[in-house]
Parts: sequence; C-alpha cells; structure tokens
Amino acid sequence: MIKVQSLVKEFIQKDGTSFRAVDEVTFDASHNEIVCLLGVNGAGKTTTMRVLSTIFEPNSGKAEVEGYDVVAEADKVRENVGFLSGDTGLYQRLTPREFMTYFGRLYAVPEGMIERRIREMSEILDMDEFLDKKIEFLSSGMKQKVSIARSIIHNPPVMIFDEPTIGLDILTARNIVSFIRECRNQGKCVLFSTHIMREAERLADRIVMIHRGKVLKQGTLEAMREETKLQDLDDIFIYYINQANGELKVVANEF
Amino acid sequence: MNFKKAFVIYKKEMLELFRDKRTLFTTIILPVILYPLLFAGFGAIMTRQADVLEKRGATVAFQDSLTFRTPETLAIRDSIYEDLTKIEHFQIIPAPPTLNLLYQEGDIDAIVTIKDSLNVNQEPVFLVTIRYDGSGEKGLMVYHKLESSLLNTSQKISAQRLQALDIDQQIIKPMEIMPLDTSTTEKKMGNILGTILPYLMILLLITGASVVAADLVAGEKERQTLETLLVSSVSRSEIVLGKYLTIVTMAMVNVIINLVSISFSIQYLLSQSGLDMQGIQMPINSFLILLLAMIPLATLFAAILLSISTFSRNMKEARTYEQPIIIIAMLMGMISFLPTVEMNNVLALVPVINVALLFKVVLIGNYQLSHLLLTIGSTLVLDVIAIWITVKLFNTESVLFRTQEEGGKIKIKNKRTFFSPFYGIVYFCLALAALYYLGGKWQAANLVNGLIQSELIIILFPVLILLRLGKYKPAEILRLKKPKAKELAIIPFMAISASMIVSIIAQVINHFFPFPQEYIEAMSRIFTQDISFWEMFIVIALLPGICEEILFRGFLMRFFEQKNFWYPIFVTAILFALFHLDPFRFLPVLLLGILLGYITRRTGSIVNSMFFHIINNTLALVITTFSEQNWMRVFIQDGENLKYWLTIPAILIFILSLTIFNKITILEEV
Repeated sequence: MIKVQSLVKEFIQKDGTSFRAVDEVTFDASHNEIVCLLGVNGAGKTTTMRVLSTIFEPNSGKAEVEGYDVVAEADKVRENVGFLSGDTGLYQRLTPREFMTYFGRLYAVPEGMIERRIREMSEILDMDEFLDKKIEFLSSGMKQKVSIARSIIHNPPVMIFDEPTIGLDILTARNIVSFIRECRNQGKCVLFSTHIMREAERLADRIVMIHRGKVLKQGTLEAMREETKLQDLDDIFIYYINQANGELKVVANEF
Repeated sequence: MNFKKAFVIYKKEMLELFRDKRTLFTTIILPVILYPLLFAGFGAIMTRQADVLEKRGATVAFQDSLTFRTPETLAIRDSIYEDLTKIEHFQIIPAPPTLNLLYQEGDIDAIVTIKDSLNVNQEPVFLVTIRYDGSGEKGLMVYHKLESSLLNTSQKISAQRLQALDIDQQIIKPMEIMPLDTSTTEKKMGNILGTILPYLMILLLITGASVVAADLVAGEKERQTLETLLVSSVSRSEIVLGKYLTIVTMAMVNVIINLVSISFSIQYLLSQSGLDMQGIQMPINSFLILLLAMIPLATLFAAILLSISTFSRNMKEARTYEQPIIIIAMLMGMISFLPTVEMNNVLALVPVINVALLFKVVLIGNYQLSHLLLTIGSTLVLDVIAIWITVKLFNTESVLFRTQEEGGKIKIKNKRTFFSPFYGIVYFCLALAALYYLGGKWQAANLVNGLIQSELIIILFPVLILLRLGKYKPAEILRLKKPKAKELAIIPFMAISASMIVSIIAQVINHFFPFPQEYIEAMSRIFTQDISFWEMFIVIALLPGICEEILFRGFLMRFFEQKNFWYPIFVTAILFALFHLDPFRFLPVLLLGILLGYITRRTGSIVNSMFFHIINNTLALVITTFSEQNWMRVFIQDGENLKYWLTIPAILIFILSLTIFNKITILEEV
C-alpha cells in the first residue's frame, strides 16, 4: 500500500527561485486497488511518482510504501516497488533474458527464482520466440513486453506506472492496460498516472486529480459524477479546475 | 555497499561493451593491426626513401675561378675534379654560363667553386666553396658527400707535400679521437621509448576511458535507461562502483593491447633493420612496473570522466566536456618530451606528470621506489576525491535529471540579454587576444608606455565604449558606487595582510618550481626603468587597480550573475588569473581575484576592490623599491623574499579584518 501525506517537492530553477512541483499532496492506495493520478502535463504526477520510487527526496511531508518510509528506508521501498513508465529505455545489446536476469540480480532475487520468473512471464506475455534475440532487433510491442516483465521480475506488492501508455500504439497500449488489471487481480496495490481521461475512466478504482502540484479532488468516478451531476470525465475535470480557480463556471459541452 | 551488486553491474556493462562493435574495434582490433602496419610501413618507406635519394644522385657544377694558373695549381684542380667525379651517382659538369639560373631552378643541386691565393710561403692555397640548399634531406646528403670527397683530396695533397719535405705524416696527427659509447642498448632503447611511450600511453589511457565513460551514464540518460536502474534495488554507490570498474578495465585493456602490439612491432622493426639483436631485449620488467603505475592513473581518469558523464545531459555534452580534460592530460603527458625535467619528490605528487616522468626513469632502468610509491599514493588520494564527487553527483537530483523538465513548469525563455555567460567568455577571449598580440607589441616597443596603453586601450576603453553603445548606465552596471567610510577603513588591513599571505604562497611555489632566470629578469624589467617612484605608482598600481577592476569585477562579473553568490566571483577570479598569462602566478592571482570579487559583491561597490587592488600593487612596488633600506630588512631577506614569520601576523590580521568586514557589510542584493 501507498500512503502520501502533505508531500512537498520543490526544485531550484535556473534563475535561482524555487518552484513547487508537488504542493501538500495527500492520498493513499491500498492492495487490490487501482488508483489513478490524473492531471495535465506538468501537473506534478511524475514528480510524485518519482518521490514514491525513491528517485527524488521530498522537501517535506511523508510518503510510505508498504509501511516503509521513502527517505529513511529507501532500500526497502525499492524492493517493494515495480516501476514502469511509457518512455523507459532498454539495453539494446542485451537479450530479454539477460535483461531480466540483470534486474533480477540487482533485486537480489535468487538465481533459481529468476529463471522460474522468466519462464512464467514468458508464458503469460508470449515472449518465448524472442527471449534470446537482442533487444535492438525487437519491435516496439515486444520491447514493451520486456519492460513489463522487467518491472515485475521481483514480484513486488506495489506497482507504479508513470504514463505507461504514452507514445505507444493501440495494440501495445492494450498489453499494458490488461497488465495493470492483472496486477490488481493478483492483489497488488497499483498506482498509475495519465492525462488521458478515457484511460482513467476505464481503469481506475479511484481517481486523484492533480493540478499545479495540488490535489483538486479525489474519490471514485461515481462519487464525482454524483457531486458534479456531469457524466463525462473531461467535464468533471474542468469543473473541478474551475472550482479551484474560484470561478464556478462549468464549461460543459463546449466542443 | 553490496559488492556483489556492483559486480553484477560491472559484468553487465562489460558484456554490453564487448557486444558493441565500435568499442571492440577501437580497443582491440585497431591497435592489433595499426602498429604493425604503421611500423612496418613506416620502416619500409624510410629505407626506401634513403635508398632512392642515394641512387638518384645529384648534378654538381664545377666552377673554376683560379687566378694563378700554374701547372701546380692546375694539377690540384684536376685532382679535385677527378675525385669529385668518383662519387657514385654524381654528375659533375663544368659550370655553364647560366649557372645561377640553373641552380635556382633546381637543375643543379650544388656548385663547387675553387679560388686560390698565395700563402706566406708564396704557395698557392685553395679556397673551395660548396653552395647547397641545406633545408632538405637531399641538399644535406649532397653536401656531406662533396665535403668528404674534398677532405679526401686535401689529405692526399698534404701527404704529398709532407713527403716532398721528407716529414713523417704522423707528426701532424698528435691525437686521435675515438668515441666509446657506454650506454647499453637497453638504456638507449629506454630513452627512445621513454620519450614517446609515456605520452602515447597517457593518451591511450584517457581516450580509451573517455569513450566508455561517456556511454555509461550520459549514454544511459540519453537512452532513458537510467531511471530504471535508479528505481531498482541498488544503491547509488554500487552503481558508481560498477561503472567505475568498467571504465578502469576498458582503459587498461586498451593500454595493454596497445603496449603488446607496440612491443611486437618494435621487435619486428628492429629485426628488419638488420641491427645486432643480441643486446636488444624488450624491457619486460619495466613494462610490468609501468602497468602497475598505470592502474592508479587509469582509476583517476575513470573517476574524473565518470563524474563528467554523470553531470552531462547526453553523450554529446559528455564528449564536449571531456575534450578539455583530454587536452590537459595530453599536455601534461608531453612533459616526457622535455629533456631537462627530471623526477623528484615534488613532481611525484603532481598527477599525470608523475606517471609520465616515472615512465621515463623506469624505462631507462634507474627509478627510486619512493617515487613509485609517491606517484601511486598521490594519484590514489585524488582518485578517492574524484570518486567521492561522482557519488555526490549521483545523489544530486538536479544533476541526475537535468534532462527532464525541471518540475514540469512550462518555461518562458528569458529574453536573451547581452550579459549572458557566453558573451562574457567571448569578450574575455577577445580582450585576452588583444592583450597578447597588441599589448605585447606595445610593451616590447616601450615598456612603460606599453603598459599604460594596454591598461587604457585594451582594458578600460572597450568596456566604456560598449556600455555607451548598449545605452547601459555605466555607474550601475560597473557598481561605481560611493563606498562607506568604514568599508574603506578596513580594506587596507585586509589588503596588506592578504597581499603578504599571497606573496608568501608565491614564494613557496617558487621554492618548488623555481622561476627561470629570464622570467625573473622580464618581471623585474619594469623596476629598472628610469622613472620616479610616483610615475611607477601610476603605471603599476593606480592604473591597473582602476582599469582591471572595471573590466573584471565591474564588467565581466555581470555576465555570470545568474547563479548563486559565489559563482560569478569564482568565474571572474579564474578569468582574472588567466588574464595575467603567467602559470607561475596563476594561484596567487586567483586567490586575490576571489577576494576582490567577494569585496565587490559584498559591498556592492567596485571602488572598494579598486582600493584593495591599488594597495596590493603598491605593496609590491614598495617592497622592491625600498628593499635596500634598513627598515625594510626587518620584513624581507635576500633582496625580495618576505620573511616567513610574517605569515602568522598576516593570517591573524587577515582573519580579524575579514571578520570585521563581514560584520560591517550587508550582503549585496543577489
């Protein structure tokens, strides 16, 4: 599970001023659940996820993964998180098998276990025929499968997906979407970010709307629909933005 | 730190590198085929060239300008001519009328002219001139052949004359000179290798390391794989260690393969040259010691290059930043070309130079263990520092993620102003070039006038003109602000104490790296000019104090003020030190520059730093001018050096005055 409390992350900009990318963000996610961070580009989704995956240290506030603090127990957090983003690169000169073995070893998974996991995932994701071909020769769909397998090689209880479908074609994106569902069905805690409303609508059990570093609104889609009396998530999102801006102006059906 | 994980990273990086055809080619295949081809080809060409030159021969004109045409002189002339015609492949022709033209056009390679006069005994003496073109191989070869033929003739004639007088020839040979070279072939070989190999090895080491280093972190950033690595269960120091070992390994592999290839090629070359091979052994032991000494250097290069790679956004940027490091390392490696620089305990502490010099002594076969240990030890210390910096960088988010949008804010690009670092550097380079070419010329013509012209025309006026053209307010840009009285009151204390400390630092540097005599003479030339103390004050203290402060702390500082408080201070101090075009004074000037910058930024007034600068320069003037006075002998010894006990009061006064200065000044708007 994930627990984020009053999280703040600031960056020093080139002109010397600081900029709050994440501003007092609070939310949580538990097992058996898909939580979606929804927001436009630059809202602070990626920064939040990077704090959760121990790449960034927060300026203040608290973030926990499976009860481990992301700053004090970063090692434990890394062991418990699988991280995947849409633009993750792969080592071109390795084969998928070598690639997965490499990360398995970095996660200190026992050798026999690594082999078993590779076999299992190869079956699930249908990777048998290219398991020993160099990654540079694989199609983007195949590469995406390798990335997925890599993110789960250590069988973590928490999965974080940062804009997982960005830049992918429909067929490849569908692999990811079904993989995210599969993770929840296995009882994992899943956090994913997107700026595509349709994706959030289809996948999320709960939605956390983020805008300019702050949480606009969080809850289930149904609850939001009820509150706003709007059906479309696009409209709901704009409704909350306008509300936050202090202008209760509903821009519905504008297009 | 889990070494097993670092090793997992190391193994994977090595695997990837060896699957890369380019790396494989440059580190292994290229050296294996390059040297044999290069050496064999070069050797063949050399011998061929020499052969061709000999065989092609030359055309020599023989010019007879005799005045006394007695039978005797004519006989000598004929014997000279006859001997000349005996030179193989040479064609001796009588001087044609168009002699000079033919010579100029290269149809004739040399002209032998014989003239004569009478000596005291009324005997004819011959004067033989050889006109030849000494700029080329051929001209020299022709000259040497002609000379030896003429000497031969000369000896024959003197032998005849002695015989005529019935004198034994041995009488005019009181001694014979026989050179006996005691150097062993190994030593000779060592000397030749000692000059080339260090340079080559250092070059190979750093280029080998740089290719790999750029790929390992900057490359991962570029290919977007770094994030995956960072989120996995491996610590930053494990990543650094794994990648660092990879660079060291690849650099050493590169060097070893090159060394082996070179040594085989040299052996082949020697066997081809038909030399006596009995005595010539490749110094295998020496090579092993060298490899041992190369390891710390490889680790140092690896650590420096890795930190550059970590700092860079992408591979292209990494390669750009690597360039100056490679050039500096190359220049330091070139020290082995200098015959006079020898290894000592101080130079053994200077990175790269120590290895270059160690190479030399090891190959000649007389190295000291202390030098070897000092070299390895000092390099390892620097190495640890560089690794520490890399790990630090790896833990700095802003460095690791310089590629991504910082915080996702949509950046509105600032309007490009004139005062950006780029233009600052451009301006500095122009000023430096002007000083070097114009200022040098002016000062050579007339030292005092040249110094005044340099300060005004090169340093001061362009700044004022540019500010005028740009419609800037000079007083505001240059910080020409009235200083506070209390600031002016404390500055003399800071200036005098700081100047003394810096002078003593310069003395210490001088102690280890003695200034060349010409340098001291050049530096003191200004003090031997026939001008009064006050004129000297204007040239040495007042003008530089005002003009240089306006350029550096006033003008150039403005180009670098985007970042924090210290950044512009350090950058201008470095530029200020470079501007003095003097490696011996780099460190002292740098320290003064930092202090001057600090005073300016702290008080917001350039007048304070001008005051400091003037006092500093005046002090040097006073010490030199009054060094003979009795009252000065308390402070100085042997004419110019400050006594070392001055360090303690100087440091005390400096700390005290700096503390007061910090108290009475508030931080300038940043």
